[in-house]
Amino acid sequence: MTVQASSARPAVRRPGGWLGAFTSTDHKRIALNLGCMSLVFFLLGGVFALLMRSQLASDNSHLVSDYTYAELFTMHGSTMIYLFVAPMAIAMAMYLAPLQIGAVSLAAPRTALTGFWIWLGGGLVMQSGWFAGDGPGRDGWFSYVPLSDSQNTPGTGQDLWTMGVTLAAIGMLLMGACVLATILRRRAPGMALLRMPIFTWTALVTVLMVVSGFPALIIAMGLLFIDRTTDAYIYSGFAGAIDYQDIFWFFGHPVVYVMFFPFLGAAAEAVAVCAHKRWFGYKAFVASMLAFSALSMAVWAHHMFTTGGVTNQYFAATSTALVVPAGIEYFDLVGTLVGGSLVLRTSMLFGLGFFVQFLIGGLSGIWVASPTLDYAANDTYFVIAHFHYTLFAGSVFGFFAGVYHWFPKITGARLREGLGKLHFVLLVIGTNLTFFPMFLVGEDGMPRRIVRYPQHPGWVTDNRLETIGAGIIAVGVLVFLINVVVSMRRRVIAGDDPWEGHTLEWATSSPPPPLNFNRPLPPIRSYAPLLDLRQQIADAGPPATGAEIREEASA
Amino acid sequence: VFAPRAGERTSGLISTRVVYDQLASVYLPIAIGVFAFFTLMIVLSVLRYRDRAEPSRRSENNLLEGSYAVLLVCVVAFLLYLTLTDEHKVDSVANHERPALVVDVTGAKWEWEFRYPADGITGRSGFVGDQPLVVPEDRAIRFNLASQDVIHAIWIPQLEFKRDLIPGAVEHVTLTFTRTGTFDGQCAEFCGLHHAEMVFRVRVLAPARFASWAAAHRGRAT
Repeated sequence: MTVQASSARPAVRRPGGWLGAFTSTDHKRIALNLGCMSLVFFLLGGVFALLMRSQLASDNSHLVSDYTYAELFTMHGSTMIYLFVAPMAIAMAMYLAPLQIGAVSLAAPRTALTGFWIWLGGGLVMQSGWFAGDGPGRDGWFSYVPLSDSQNTPGTGQDLWTMGVTLAAIGMLLMGACVLATILRRRAPGMALLRMPIFTWTALVTVLMVVSGFPALIIAMGLLFIDRTTDAYIYSGFAGAIDYQDIFWFFGHPVVYVMFFPFLGAAAEAVAVCAHKRWFGYKAFVASMLAFSALSMAVWAHHMFTTGGVTNQYFAATSTALVVPAGIEYFDLVGTLVGGSLVLRTSMLFGLGFFVQFLIGGLSGIWVASPTLDYAANDTYFVIAHFHYTLFAGSVFGFFAGVYHWFPKITGARLREGLGKLHFVLLVIGTNLTFFPMFLVGEDGMPRRIVRYPQHPGWVTDNRLETIGAGIIAVGVLVFLINVVVSMRRRVIAGDDPWEGHTLEWATSSPPPPLNFNRPLPPIRSYAPLLDLRQQIADAGPPATGAEIREEASA
Repeated sequence: VFAPRAGERTSGLISTRVVYDQLASVYLPIAIGVFAFFTLMIVLSVLRYRDRAEPSRRSENNLLEGSYAVLLVCVVAFLLYLTLTDEHKVDSVANHERPALVVDVTGAKWEWEFRYPADGITGRSGFVGDQPLVVPEDRAIRFNLASQDVIHAIWIPQLEFKRDLIPGAVEHVTLTFTRTGTFDGQCAEFCGLHHAEMVFRVRVLAPARFASWAAAHRGRAT
C-alpha cells in the first residue's frame, strides 16, 4: 500500500516554509493547522468569557454596555462552538483516525484543504464584525428569528456573523466528509470495522454527525442571510420562527455530539493506555456510539420544550433514552479501570476528570430532558451550567487528555508532567468554581444573557465565585501554554511509543513521516494491535528480541 | 394512569410548582446516587489498582453488560413514566380547568402588558413602568400569551414555569398560584438590547382581596 501510494505520486516540488505548511495536503498538516487555529479562537472566546464574568461580578456593574454584553455572549458562544470545539473535534479525527487505521493519506485531501480555508475564512468573516460600524453578531449563538431579521437587528455585523457561520459550516462539512471517506475506504488490510480503535470509532460517528447535521446549519444560515438581504420573507410569522428553530436544532443537537465524541474517544484511549488494559466492552461501546448518534438525530426539539410548537413527549422520550448508551460508556470505563495497572500521568488525570465531571453534565442533561423540569431550567443559568459541564468540564478535559497523550506523537517531544499536573489541578478548581454555582443561581431563577441583575442582590455571591473560577481557568490555560512552549524549547525526546500505546499511530516515528508509516504495520487482529503484540511476546517467554518482533510483524 | 399523587393538588387545581417539586424530588436523589456511585468506583479503582504489577487481560463481560443495559432501559421507562405523567398534567389537564380569571399577556421590546379583559384593567411593566401582574391565590388563571415583535418568554420562578411568547400566534396556559405574596418575573428569551430590564412583579392576593382590587381598578391601569 505504501509503495503504491508513493509511486503513484508525481514528482512535484512542494513549496516550503509557511506557504508549504498552509497548502500541504498531508492530513497531519491540515489537522494541525485546523487545531492550532481553533486554539487561537479558544483563547479569543476565553477573553470574551472573562469580560462577561467581570461584568457579572456585581449586580449593577457598568463595565460594559448592554450592547457590548450582547456582542460578547454572542461571540463567546459562536467562537467556542463554530470555531473551537467543533473544528477541534474534526482536527483530532483528521490527524489521528488515518494513523489509527493504517492509512497513508486522507481521501480527497485537496477537498479537506479547501474546507480548512473556507472554515478559516468563515471564522475571520465572523470576527471581522468587530471592525464593522455596528459591531459583530449580537443575537446569541443560535440567533433566533425574528430577532435576527434585518428589521430587529439591522446592520453589517449581523450579516457578517450569518455569512461567517455559513462558511465555517461549509468548511467543516467538507473536512468531515473527507475523514468519513478515509475511515470507510482507506483502512489497512486486516483493519475491519470491528477492529477499529475506540478513538477511530468516536471519530467515525463524529463525522457521520457532521455530514448529517451540518447541512441543516448551512440551510438555516443561508436562508437567514437571504431573508436579511432580500424581501424573501422566508421565516415569517409563528411558523417561520418555529421552522428556523427546527432547522437550526436539527444541526444543533448532532453538533453537541460532534463536540463530545472525539473527546470521549481521546479520554478513553488515554485511560486505557494508562491502565495498561484494552478498553473494556468494545462491542457494547461501539453499539452505544451508534445508538448515541442515531438518537442524537432525534432529540433536537428538546431545545424547544417551552415554545408550545413541538411534541414534547416524543422528544422527552428520545432524550431520556440517551441514559442507555451513556450508561454503557461509564460501565466500560469502570471495567477498564478494574484489574488494570493504573499510572496517574497527566493524560490519565484529564481522562478521569473528563468522565467524573461530564457525569454532572450528563445527569443534568437527563434532568432538562424532562419537559416539566425544563419549563423551569430552560434559558436560565441551570442550562448554562449543564452545557458547560458537558463542553468545558467534559470535552475540554477530554481534549487536554488527548493533548497530553498524543503531543509526543505529534511533536516528538513530551510535555512536562509537573506543569501538566498543575494545569490539571487549576483547571479542576476553576471549572467547578465557575460552573457549579451556575446550577444554584439558575435554580433560583437567574435567566441567561442578562447584563445586570440589580433586583437580585442575592445572586452576587455565586456570581462572584464564578468570576473567580473563570480567572483560575485562565491561569490554568496559561500554565498549559507555558508547558507547550517549555516542552518545545527544551525538548525531552519522546521516542516512537512513550506510553506503551495500543494502536497503530504508536507503530511509526514521532512525528510520523509524510506517508505516515516508515515500516511495515504489525498484524491487526483487534482494536489494540500493539497491545496484542506485547502480550504475545510476554506469553512467548523472556527471549523476545527485536528480530522476533520484526519477524512477527512481517508475518 | 394520570391519577394525582398525594399532596399534589391544592384546592383541586394543578400547581406547576408542586408538580415540579415532586418530580425533582425523584430525579435529584437518582442523579446524586448515580454520580456518587460512579465517582466512588473510579476513586476506589484508582486506589486499588494504581501501579499494580500484572494487569488483567479481561476485556469484556457481555452477560453482565447486557443485564446492565436492561436495567438502564428500566430506569429510562421509570423516568419517562413519571415525567410524561407530570407533563400531561401541567400541559393538558391544567388547560381543561375552568379559569376563574383570564389575563392577556403581551410582550414587546422591552415591556410587559397585562390586560384583564373582564375588568378592563391594563398594567405595564419593564422598561416603561412597574405595574405588577395581580392575581388571586388558588384560582386557575388562563394566560393568553402574545408577542408584538420578537420572541420573549414569561418566566416566573415561583411557579417553576416559563413559556415562550412567539409573534404570530397566541399561546394559552393555565396556571395556579398557591401562595400569597410578591414574586419576581422576567423575560427569559434574549430579545435585544434591554432584555435584562424586561422584568415584572407578581402580586398574589387572597381571592377576596383580589376581588376588591379588581373592583377598585375597573377600567383603569393597575
